[in-house]
Amino acid sequence: MNWRQIFLVLQREYITRVKSKGFIWATILVPVGFAAFIGIVVFISVWESDVSFEIGILDETSQVAESLVELNAARYINYSELPVDSLRAMVQREQLTGYIVISEDNITENRSLELIYSGSGGIQLLTSVQADVREVIREERLRRAEVSPEIQAIYDTRIGLDSRRLTREGVDVDDDTLFFSVVGMLMGIIIFVAIFSYGGYITRGVIEEKTNRIIEVIASSVKPIELLTGKMAGVGALAITQFGIWIIAFLGLSAIAGPVAMSLMDQQTQQLDGDLAAAQAELPFFLDMPTIETSLIIFFIIFFLLGYLLYSSLFAAIGSAADSDTDTQQLMLPITAPIMIAYFIMLHTWRSPDSVLSVVSSMIPFFSPILMITRIAITEVPIWQISVAIFLMLITFTGTMWLSAKIYKVGILSYGSSAGFKDLLKWVKQ
Amino acid sequence: MSTIIVEHLSKHFGKTKAVQDVSFNVEKGRITGLLGPNGAGKTTTIRMINYIIPQDEGTITINGLPVSAKTQKMIGYMPEERGLYKKMKVGEQLIYLSQLKGMSKDKAKEQIKYWLNRFGAFDWHSKAVGELSKGMSQKIQFIATIVHDPDIYIFDEPFSGLDPINSELLKQIIIELREKGKTVLFSTHRMEQVEQMCDDICLFNNGKMVLAGNLRQVKKDFGKNTVLIEFEGDSRFLDELENVRINNRSTNFAEIRILGDLNHQDILKKAMNHAEIHKFQLVEPSLNEIFISTVGEDNIKNKEELLA
Repeated sequence: MNWRQIFLVLQREYITRVKSKGFIWATILVPVGFAAFIGIVVFISVWESDVSFEIGILDETSQVAESLVELNAARYINYSELPVDSLRAMVQREQLTGYIVISEDNITENRSLELIYSGSGGIQLLTSVQADVREVIREERLRRAEVSPEIQAIYDTRIGLDSRRLTREGVDVDDDTLFFSVVGMLMGIIIFVAIFSYGGYITRGVIEEKTNRIIEVIASSVKPIELLTGKMAGVGALAITQFGIWIIAFLGLSAIAGPVAMSLMDQQTQQLDGDLAAAQAELPFFLDMPTIETSLIIFFIIFFLLGYLLYSSLFAAIGSAADSDTDTQQLMLPITAPIMIAYFIMLHTWRSPDSVLSVVSSMIPFFSPILMITRIAITEVPIWQISVAIFLMLITFTGTMWLSAKIYKVGILSYGSSAGFKDLLKWVKQ
Repeated sequence: MSTIIVEHLSKHFGKTKAVQDVSFNVEKGRITGLLGPNGAGKTTTIRMINYIIPQDEGTITINGLPVSAKTQKMIGYMPEERGLYKKMKVGEQLIYLSQLKGMSKDKAKEQIKYWLNRFGAFDWHSKAVGELSKGMSQKIQFIATIVHDPDIYIFDEPFSGLDPINSELLKQIIIELREKGKTVLFSTHRMEQVEQMCDDICLFNNGKMVLAGNLRQVKKDFGKNTVLIEFEGDSRFLDELENVRINNRSTNFAEIRILGDLNHQDILKKAMNHAEIHKFQLVEPSLNEIFISTVGEDNIKNKEELLA
């Protein structure tokens, strides 16, 4: 191996790609998209209370309408004096979102109430109206049953579950399992997507050199293994650049998004007869985020790189065996299958990171990059499991590299038709 | 000492024996042609000389060294399947390729400038190769092959796919290279190109080398036993000739190789009985004829292509 040659290949791969429009756009658009996403979420949480839906209540029993109005004066209006037809007309004229007729049957029997409405408001409206009427009707029933205040209090209980984690050091800390489950899943998905997209870069790059017919000129100056290594390193450097930019943009945006959102909400709540505490509670959960430990980011980078190395050489081998972009589908299957399997297991793992399935499959080299990082983010993974995963991935990497180099060496010089798996086997044996 | 020495070279792909026990030398400062129909093993041999694929058996020595990454840098190679990166700019691309051949960046820039100027192509420097016409990118390909100023040049089927202007340009380059004392090896299945340019030849058929040597000497050894005849009239007399092989036959021309001890005067007499003779000439056999009589008519793969 000649490092000068590898470096020259690396340099070309990196520079031509980094200058390409596709790369520049993707690198810019992802943080912009992320900022837009945060903006939209903040916007929604600030403005959602503004949209009001007015529901007219025609209460034939005249016993529950008032409690509903008490519960949410902005939403429920007592129209018990009006005939049903006027309410219908008001809904049609869009003066009201809808109305509910409450009769004695609804309280004494288990007959469902009917909301007649214009159709706007969606599921969120329906579920909140349902919860509201349930609550008042239950209260009314309890009142009629003349139960003691103690029993009423029992019905009012809402027991939550707060969780705190006890670490190995014996300190119990705030538990952010939900948050980290989402982080873990996202990290898994990011690695999943990254392996495919950067792998795809490599496959297309190799095919391009074949279809351009430049490969033989290159092969008369560079050894196939040097070319392969240079390519993988070049695209790897590209991945690091892109992710570096994204991570910095992400951290920067998160850092300013919190305060900006807070000040926006402050203004908003002050206008609406301010209550700072309420605003705080409404802050979307990911802006109020627990700090992601540096060790997690380091593990993410390690598994990202190992996953990339493990798969990228195989993507190059596929490219060398194919004769055109469209021919890669069938050859791609042995690579896509394990990544897809890992992805599906991950959908299980993020909810139960310590199950036998999760633990075992997170140590299978082809699954580790996706599953182990998900587990590390969510749960306390024993060091030995992480070490085993890394060790096995390194060993497998040397294996895939050896295999790919053999296929690549022959593949790049065979034109005319795409190779099948039989041919690949022959090339490996050569 | 010969520049390239090939000894007992063999290569097989699966059950196909692409090259079998081939030995030949390429002499310094001369143009050597590898001849033979497609599939004869020329490209495989050339790839082994370029250290692109390893040989199964035999040795290749270049300037006294066995083939290696080091000998690669002594060679400028233009493969039959040619191409460049379409999206890369001409200048960057040439710098990249010459750096891979071991040149420093500054030296490469200087040489590229010289060659682009020489081919009237200096303003292409910042154009992407994809924007160039086919003829223009062929010129860039020549520059990519010669820019690092090696001692040895190998062209595989160099004239296939070239437009007439570039064909002529490449011929000039090759002859100019020889004048500078460089060594040139090229392969072709078009015999007439060899006749015009080569000093030495090396005939391939079915993976084996069947004949090698100095072109003049080879022709001399075959003797002046070929008749070129130009006539007007009935050409059926040609069919009556025995013990001859007729190449290049048309309505008023034929190239007749005398195989037995038939006297060429007898052919003339026969011809005069049937047609008016415009020209009758006794010459050395053409390379085509030499090739056919060496390997035997039945052993030639793709014969039509060879004679095309």
